Amino acid sequence: MDVKVKGSKELFDEVINKGLCTLCGACAGACPYLVPYKGRIVLLDNCTLTEGQCYKYCPRTYTDMDAISQQVFGAPYSEDELGTTKEVLMVRSTDAGIREKAQYGGAVTTLVSLAMAEGIINSAILTRTTDDKTPKGFLARSKTAVLECAGSSYMACPVLESYNHVPEYSNHRLGIVAVPCQVLAVSKMKREPPQNRFDVNNIKLVIGLFCTWALSPDGFHQFLTENLNLPWVTKFDIPPPPANRFDAYTASGRMSFSLEQVRQFTMPTCAYCLDMTSEFADISIGSVEGTEGWNTVIIRTDTGAELMEMARVKAKLEIDKLPDENLAHLKEAALLKKKRALQEIIKKSGDEKNLLYLGLSQSLIDRLMV
Amino acid sequence: MPDIDIDAPGKTLLLMGNEAIARGALEAGIGFIASYPGTPSSEILPTLAGVAKRRGIYAEWSVNEMVAMMVATGASLGGVRAMATMKQNGTNVAMDFIATLTQRGLRGGGGLLLVNCDDPGQRNSPNEQDTRPVAKWLDIPLLEPGDFQEAKDMTKWLFDLSEELDTLCMLRCVAKISHTRGNVKLNELPEKEKKARFELDRLGRPVNPHAAVHEKLDKAQEKFELSPFNRYVGPDKADLLIITCGGSWLHSQEAVRLLKLEDKVGILKLGTLWPLPEKLVVQHLGKSQRILFVEETDPFVERSVMELAASLPPDSLRPIFYGKRSGHVPAYGELNPDSVIRAITKIMGLTYESRDADYSKKVEAAVKSDVVVRIGTLCPGCPHRASYWAIKNALKLDGRLGFATADNGCISAGLGPAGFYVAKTAYAMGSGAAVADGLGKLGQFGFDQPVLGGVGDSTFYHAGIPALLNAVWNKSNFTLIVYDNNATAMTGFQPHPGTGMTAMGDPAREVSIEAICRSMGVRVEICDPFDLEKTTETLLDVMKDEREGPRVVVMRRECELIRARREGPPYDVYVDTEKCLGDSCGCDRLCTRILRCPGLVWDEEAGKSKIDEIICSGCGLCADICPQGAIIREPVVTQEREIAEEIPGR
Repeated sequence: MDVKVKGSKELFDEVINKGLCTLCGACAGACPYLVPYKGRIVLLDNCTLTEGQCYKYCPRTYTDMDAISQQVFGAPYSEDELGTTKEVLMVRSTDAGIREKAQYGGAVTTLVSLAMAEGIINSAILTRTTDDKTPKGFLARSKTAVLECAGSSYMACPVLESYNHVPEYSNHRLGIVAVPCQVLAVSKMKREPPQNRFDVNNIKLVIGLFCTWALSPDGFHQFLTENLNLPWVTKFDIPPPPANRFDAYTASGRMSFSLEQVRQFTMPTCAYCLDMTSEFADISIGSVEGTEGWNTVIIRTDTGAELMEMARVKAKLEIDKLPDENLAHLKEAALLKKKRALQEIIKKSGDEKNLLYLGLSQSLIDRLMV
Repeated sequence: MPDIDIDAPGKTLLLMGNEAIARGALEAGIGFIASYPGTPSSEILPTLAGVAKRRGIYAEWSVNEMVAMMVATGASLGGVRAMATMKQNGTNVAMDFIATLTQRGLRGGGGLLLVNCDDPGQRNSPNEQDTRPVAKWLDIPLLEPGDFQEAKDMTKWLFDLSEELDTLCMLRCVAKISHTRGNVKLNELPEKEKKARFELDRLGRPVNPHAAVHEKLDKAQEKFELSPFNRYVGPDKADLLIITCGGSWLHSQEAVRLLKLEDKVGILKLGTLWPLPEKLVVQHLGKSQRILFVEETDPFVERSVMELAASLPPDSLRPIFYGKRSGHVPAYGELNPDSVIRAITKIMGLTYESRDADYSKKVEAAVKSDVVVRIGTLCPGCPHRASYWAIKNALKLDGRLGFATADNGCISAGLGPAGFYVAKTAYAMGSGAAVADGLGKLGQFGFDQPVLGGVGDSTFYHAGIPALLNAVWNKSNFTLIVYDNNATAMTGFQPHPGTGMTAMGDPAREVSIEAICRSMGVRVEICDPFDLEKTTETLLDVMKDEREGPRVVVMRRECELIRARREGPPYDVYVDTEKCLGDSCGCDRLCTRILRCPGLVWDEEAGKSKIDEIICSGCGLCADICPQGAIIREPVVTQEREIAEEIPGR
């Protein structure tokens, strides 16, 4: 089912002012009116268009999951907890330098660098933190630039604004590293390519990150500023459960905050998100519960499988099967997120029939409502 | 036009009202003029400044009207004939001083004149105001010219009167006399020789100052009874008597002529308005049972005459009065012959149609294709447009519902579409700063909206400094934006203390705005508003500055009209029609719908925007806002520019 595309006014009425905006950045950068700033999408001037890309590609306007899945995988939306999967692996980079700087096993940095080296892509939309640790979207054109983007700040970042800034006539073959809401927005673009913009078919690789929630770039950044000398921070980390910590590393050591302290800065919108594992990506990557220094990797598409094969052949990654116990845990966590989000959505809409943005098959709804 | 100081008695010149006033001052042997620019008064001073050196007189732009009135008084006390000129708002500024000055007298000094030019219809003013009541209120003999000859003659005559009565005299003019031209027959110019001296033995204050000035007014009234500036034209017994003054006299004559009522309607034109020449007026009241008052803005003469009528003996004939009180004449706005015709025909039960009813529709149809509909706007290339653009975006990004205040002059455009409506108030000189100061003190009441006070550069010197000082002293939390285009642009580029030049063209010390602010301990940021990104960033940072007291951002870029007089456009600007996607862009016509620079227009045929080459100044601002990069600016390299760049400091 497709729903009428509306304009920025409705984007504000239905998404932003309702607290559903994920700050993915899909609405920004394609027009002069919408600008992300300190955790908000700002409308600089009144836009009179009744149909806009801002509304069309927002992951929190109506989304027909079956149609999106059909576009990405050629099949309706999978009822599996992890979405469409080919293989679930456990990997870590063979490059100790990358592991040092990156999160967990350094798989994202390694795979993006590899894709670039192999010519699958020639540039990548990534997230880079500034000196004061504000995350910003960034178009990386070299392996060095990719390495600069290693590591996470755990804050929401409107990365897709940078995608929208890619000029229409440029020879980029793009990779994108994104969180689930952003991967969903990219998938919406793939389904109905934006007019007069960079050709969405030139996105050659989508690496999705696992995400349970993101932190507010305004509130949490304020918290960090008050508690840390940010330019000195070299890396942030949320070690896999059961650590229950948020760590900040500086040259002089580690400073930890309890996860509860940090979670108060969670973007409220994350409660309405069903997707923990970036289900529409080519490859999804996260941590491995109980095992530090490794990544869980879900291969979803042929593109993803080919890239992983290259990594295997070129010995860029140590690759292992994800232990059954971990896989079960992962599935359990993913399902739990879906169930909770559905409950939250219904609570917010006040109507079991009104799932806000979410277009799910009845059978999946029934399964998740149990 | 021949020079204003041509010594040719009897010769007739076509003079603007303000030039006629200047000529009258020359014929009176003026030695000293001080002023602050304000439409419609602004041309009087430059007219005299232009001949000041060869006539041996002194002319200055003062920092404000109060100071102008005071320095002119100083000159008068030194025995030199002096004059201060200003618009209605300026007279308000000077009024505190004038109120005491009138009760002190001139102590035998040189004749002293206040020339006040009002702006009925407020075409160029923040308010509409009739300044004649000031004369009545503060006891000043007041004349108002009804034509250009009178503008000259009254000015000259008032200097004599001022010295004879030893008091300040006032000439009130209106825009329609000040800014239009008419024939003026010249009189001789006096000798240039002037010697100034402050006579110590003449010091001292009257025993009863208020009584003293009333005596002077009585003397003035006696003279006014016989003044040739008051005259009657019409039948001995009239069906209707019009009492009028100033520019309305011309309209009254025209109306009577058009209605062919010369033998039925009489016109008493008054030139000496305060004190009212009562005997003269009473004598004319007997001419008709119906009296119509025609005057602009306030019913000043109307009320004075009605007061007079109320004091007539009980058995006097009592005419019916028509005017603003009865609703026959509009109580505000500029009058025209039609306003008078409407009043006369209504009173006399006549019908008159000056043009057929469809006339305006026909005109509209005839000119439709040739006339571009334009909003009131800033000039193409105006740096204020860029400043307001950055402010608009910064306020939106900041997100705390901040707003700006504006002030007089070009920056008042901030109230409208040219300034993207970012400014919410504009009142009087300095209020952009001081009103923001007041808002900035509301923290204790939970007020948390950022306020960007606004003041132009000339206004900063005029009344902005005390406002900022007050804010510093009382620790008000706001940001003062000084829109520094290095010009008193709205009134015609008069120099001010920051321009390094005086009214007479002599070099002067450039008084630095930022140095003044910094001397108060204020954080000052200086932005080039054409660097939109940096300016927006600076504004965002400054608004977040939580230190006590105000901050100042100086938006510095020269007025485009001054730059364009000196050199050609900096850029060739054009729309790349390949890149401009028109309505399929998704930009929703940001350039022509929001930015709305008059140099950029929507080409209906092509469905894209285009540069209006006649109007575009080549500033290149629009190239920065087009999201598609479709507006191209290419630097123009001219020989002049190359030379200019080689001169250091230029």
